[in-house]
Amino acid sequence: MRSHLLLALLVVSLGCGPQGGSKPTSGETPREKPFKVALLTPGPISDAGWSALAYRGLEAVEKELGAEVNQQQATDAQIKDAMRSYAQEGYALVFGHGFEYNAPGVEVAKDFPATVFVSSSGGESSANAGAFRFLLEEGFYLAGMTAGSLTKSGTVAMIGGPDVPSIRSTFKAFRAGAEAGRPGIRVIETFTGSNDDVAKAKQATAAAISQGADYVIHQANAAAQGVFDACKEGGAKAFGSNSDQNSNPSGVVIASAVIVAEPAFVALARRVKEGQYHGGIETMRMADGAISFVWGDAMEIPGAVKAKIEAAQKDIESGKLSVPYDRF
Amino acid sequence: MNWADILTYAAPVGLAAQGETIVQRAGLINIGLEGTMLMAAYASMKLTAITGSPFAGMAAGLIVGVAVCLLSALFTVRLGADQVVVGTALNLGALGATSTMFQAEFGRSGQLLSVPALPDWLPGIDLGTSLLLLWPFVATWFLWRTGAGLVMRGSGEYPAAVEAAGASAIRSRIIAVSVGGALAGLAGAYLAVGIAGTFVENITAGRGFVAIAMVTFGRLKPWWVLAASLVVSVAEQAQFTMQGWGLGVSPQLFVALPYTVALLVLVFAGKGTRLPESLGRPFRRVT
Repeated sequence: MRSHLLLALLVVSLGCGPQGGSKPTSGETPREKPFKVALLTPGPISDAGWSALAYRGLEAVEKELGAEVNQQQATDAQIKDAMRSYAQEGYALVFGHGFEYNAPGVEVAKDFPATVFVSSSGGESSANAGAFRFLLEEGFYLAGMTAGSLTKSGTVAMIGGPDVPSIRSTFKAFRAGAEAGRPGIRVIETFTGSNDDVAKAKQATAAAISQGADYVIHQANAAAQGVFDACKEGGAKAFGSNSDQNSNPSGVVIASAVIVAEPAFVALARRVKEGQYHGGIETMRMADGAISFVWGDAMEIPGAVKAKIEAAQKDIESGKLSVPYDRF
Repeated sequence: MNWADILTYAAPVGLAAQGETIVQRAGLINIGLEGTMLMAAYASMKLTAITGSPFAGMAAGLIVGVAVCLLSALFTVRLGADQVVVGTALNLGALGATSTMFQAEFGRSGQLLSVPALPDWLPGIDLGTSLLLLWPFVATWFLWRTGAGLVMRGSGEYPAAVEAAGASAIRSRIIAVSVGGALAGLAGAYLAVGIAGTFVENITAGRGFVAIAMVTFGRLKPWWVLAASLVVSVAEQAQFTMQGWGLGVSPQLFVALPYTVALLVLVFAGKGTRLPESLGRPFRRVT
């Protein structure tokens, strides 16, 4: 009896839980078939980071192509269910924002040839499924180079949420950039294990600062405010990531490594709409305008350092300098 | 090791665990601690954002904590419903409700939210940490030195006897739930405005469940519960420092360290813990 009750409660609560988005509307079919685009995110779209930027991309698709859009938070076992539901509802494009949506997308794509499944990063592809990856590593490299050039203590830090391949890869690029800015630099790498736990992010950052770190970058998404507050209290400077966080009220963010998702999302959706999408794995880079490194005004950056970073940025854009990243 | 930090980061779990200690002494298990903290955290952030005063936020957390727990007491105490089911419903409902409200109001701006943080009275000592240190005096005195405390402990052991002696086990349980709610509310509020200075979806990140474990770990004794929370906080601080050493060991091992320490202590020190006889059992008056 108890287990039945519990199950019923679970079902009811999950139904009205934070998955968000309005349900796809069924009912009478309109005369002209609308172009429908769906987005699956691994986290809440209020995270001011990874999931938020994809949602901005979706909003741009809605605005510029007049698409009917829908978003759901789906992880693990929910992924395939969500993909199939969207495909059955006649969605033309289902975008999974993360590596973990790649394999399920390719698999579900076999059953729904009329729907295109694209994931952010991943290595598998078919006629109507594929991946595109934002190479945020290029922005992280420049942030690392800035930190390396500016650090007085010779120690900088990277604070991550969960230990996942995409975060590790950006940290690899930051480390390489820091090394380029100051050979022999010490780069502290700490994971809190969570994207929501602001207190842990703050505690981890404070621990890194007490070990000498004076410049800190994060991959903590929603928990990033903890990183910035700890920097403010400990007298360190920080870098924003994913979104432009230079205007954060803490006043410690000197620059941000940003993913500019809107044009990439719109271009992809347009190709799908025109029937021009044929699968494949693409990389969105700084040269495509998909990644940028934006200066804030939390601190006066010496001209020589700024010139050095901007030169490196030109080299990255022209392909002269290739930033290390992991393939996954 | 920075003692001010250890106290600060121990406070959310510690305060919630002190509240749960009172609740369990009275014979109830509040599984809904996590949800209570989350609702209080949201309310405190909201009120701090409106008024600009983190103290107003803490007060809002306290009130919401009591209100949420009284609502759950309506089911668990007055109606004698299953406490695990009610608590689980509360947790899921709170996560959904706070996430929806947060997304509707702040969530789609793409910016992080920042509210004024609670000021320190002395270095590391603020409203939350002083409460953490002072509460065990109050709780120990109340539970073992007052008549009402005796009734409360009696309600956890054998409520029928309490009723036969002319006291009300139901009323005593409701008072215990309110105190537990107040502390859980303060814990959630302190997490949001005392430490984080912000709110994010699921900000409590499992602290309510850790707090329930701390109660067992601390053998339902207020001073032991405080000690347990501090041990875990020290381990947490230590693991972040150790990650900074760059030993090349998988970070998951470090992240799990505080809980491993708690488990080990429980294995060695947890023997002989006696839980209240009627813990988790609904009490219905025979009329």
